[in-house]
Amino acid sequence: MESAVLPVFLFVVAATGLAVGLLVLSALVGPSKNGKVKEMPYESGMDPIHDTHRRFDVRFYLVAIAFLVFDVELLFLYPWAVASRNPLGIDRAVSEGLVESRGLVFAEVLVFLALLAASFVYAWRKGVFRWR
Amino acid sequence: MTSETAYLLLPEIILILAGTLIYLGGAFAPGKSAWAALAALVILAAGGALAQQGTTETVQKALVTGTISGPLTIDWFSAAIRYGVLAVGLVFALVGSRWVGEGDQSEFQGSLLMILAGLMLVALSNDLVLVFVGLELISIPTYVMLYLGKGTNLLESGTKYFFLSLLSSALMLYGFSFLYGVAGSTSLIDIRETFANPDADAARLMSFARLALILIFAGLAFRLTAVPFHFYAPDVYQGTSNANAGILAVIPKIAALAAIVRIIYAGMPGLEQIGWQLTLAVALVTMTLGNLLALWQTNVRRMMAYSSIAHAGYMLIGLSVGFAAAGGAVVAEGLDGVGATLFYLLVYAAATAGVFAALTYLSGERRIVSTLDDLAGLSSSHPKTSAALALFMFSLAGLPPLAGFWGKFTLFTGALSVDARNPESGNLWPWFVALALVGVINAAISGAYYLRLIGVMYFRSGDAAPEGQGGAGAALATALCALAVIGIGAYPGPLVEAGKKASRAARDVSPEMLAGDRVPANQTAVVKPLPGLQKAEF
Repeated sequence: MESAVLPVFLFVVAATGLAVGLLVLSALVGPSKNGKVKEMPYESGMDPIHDTHRRFDVRFYLVAIAFLVFDVELLFLYPWAVASRNPLGIDRAVSEGLVESRGLVFAEVLVFLALLAASFVYAWRKGVFRWR
Repeated sequence: MTSETAYLLLPEIILILAGTLIYLGGAFAPGKSAWAALAALVILAAGGALAQQGTTETVQKALVTGTISGPLTIDWFSAAIRYGVLAVGLVFALVGSRWVGEGDQSEFQGSLLMILAGLMLVALSNDLVLVFVGLELISIPTYVMLYLGKGTNLLESGTKYFFLSLLSSALMLYGFSFLYGVAGSTSLIDIRETFANPDADAARLMSFARLALILIFAGLAFRLTAVPFHFYAPDVYQGTSNANAGILAVIPKIAALAAIVRIIYAGMPGLEQIGWQLTLAVALVTMTLGNLLALWQTNVRRMMAYSSIAHAGYMLIGLSVGFAAAGGAVVAEGLDGVGATLFYLLVYAAATAGVFAALTYLSGERRIVSTLDDLAGLSSSHPKTSAALALFMFSLAGLPPLAGFWGKFTLFTGALSVDARNPESGNLWPWFVALALVGVINAAISGAYYLRLIGVMYFRSGDAAPEGQGGAGAALATALCALAVIGIGAYPGPLVEAGKKASRAARDVSPEMLAGDRVPANQTAVVKPLPGLQKAEF
């Protein structure tokens, strides 16, 4: 069978085989000694002080969402920043007629930033950052 | 993207900008009716911008032949949907004008404007990516909206809708990926050209195109609430507020139909057979199940949910006729299936938005109108509102001379005309006669629950009259919808014609469209199969 997907297939087989094989091997060969300490949840060396199934403060989720505002901002600004002064970037797209002008791209980025700033102001006014 | 594209998007840009500003403003001055008035004005302004563009030479020429500008298609289809969406949006902005709830009115109105912009983008788009962005611009504000206002179980209905909507988006995207794999482009007009004249690669991959069609249809059927993807609707409508239920009953249906027309009906020629078979089967099951289950409901929003499922079935009749006609079946001149569906969509939207506007008007701080018992004796306490509700019910049941009658008339006669002149050669005739018959029987069944609601309002006496604190905006919205139902019923001609024109524009490809402003073929990212894959068998 000569095909481009053969290496992929072999990789999947090898990966599955390794994972399953290691589990089976450790179950067969390893000594099975259970005790109170060994069954304790692993908390990076600390002794667990209480049950982990607890409610989280909803403010953590709000902070996570506010983090996304900045995270997404960076995610989209990087490609634009790289392309804007690169000879293979926006200049070439303009010269080949894919984009009308540099200014239009810049305006789009500004609109994007303005929308993110609006969401930040909204979150601020709604008291997301007030940690009472 | 050129500045011309940005200019053509002006109505959508106005909506999104105003939506953002209303969100921001609401953070400073929450819960004022002024936000509703502002939103209504913005919708009118967007309509004005659209009309102003329609007078420019570029757009007028574009409307005649259809034209492509970047990721946009400017033709009669997009124009019809954009005007219709703005009209529906105006009604819902008015419905939410006197806010019952936590003072989140600015969020409601801001979300509404963004939903409208998303819907207009779906109708405009000539690109799978823009279709998806448009659909998400509808979905995400809808999630926010479902938690706003005053309903019986907002959290439950919001969460249910959220997860099922995500699932539907995933299904649809999976279909998009196959479609891209077959055609090697996300531009719908390129996809259409590939399907019309497939090269060797595309021809070999055609079996994946069927899979793409079914997956995309399944994803959009969630939004259309077609069986078997209807099950969330009753719970969600029942749990949320009357205004939200109205928006859910109307807006996702428009989006789903616009996307089906753009992607499947116009974008995938050559697959008409599977198209009409699929829509015919789903239409039969959807309308029958929706109507039968509606008979047992005592909650008005739940009943309207099943009614909206049944109406999704009727709309699919027209799509099925459209697919059959596109596949070569003979359909009577002037009874274009997709055009009838678009007309029906408007008729349905007018009556359904009216029902929810009236329910919003009748509700108050203490009680939101939910059950049939809440409506008992309404004819003596609120005679005008009960007359309007009766009008909407008659229209939904399809009684002449109201708008609903003409909607059903165009759909059923369209179905009856398929291959009626040459039953032997086409052979589709028996299927579509059966479809029309089931549709007529269903219209009769639906009369039972629509008329029961009228009976409750007029012939039963209730203990406590509804408060009727929905405000002047909701009353105005109800009146506008009632006028539309009567007006379209009295004079349906121009709108039926507009529907036909729009559906023809969606399907036709003109040389101007192919020559339009799009990325030249050699510069799109055409995916060529890997060298080894070319030898593999598909």
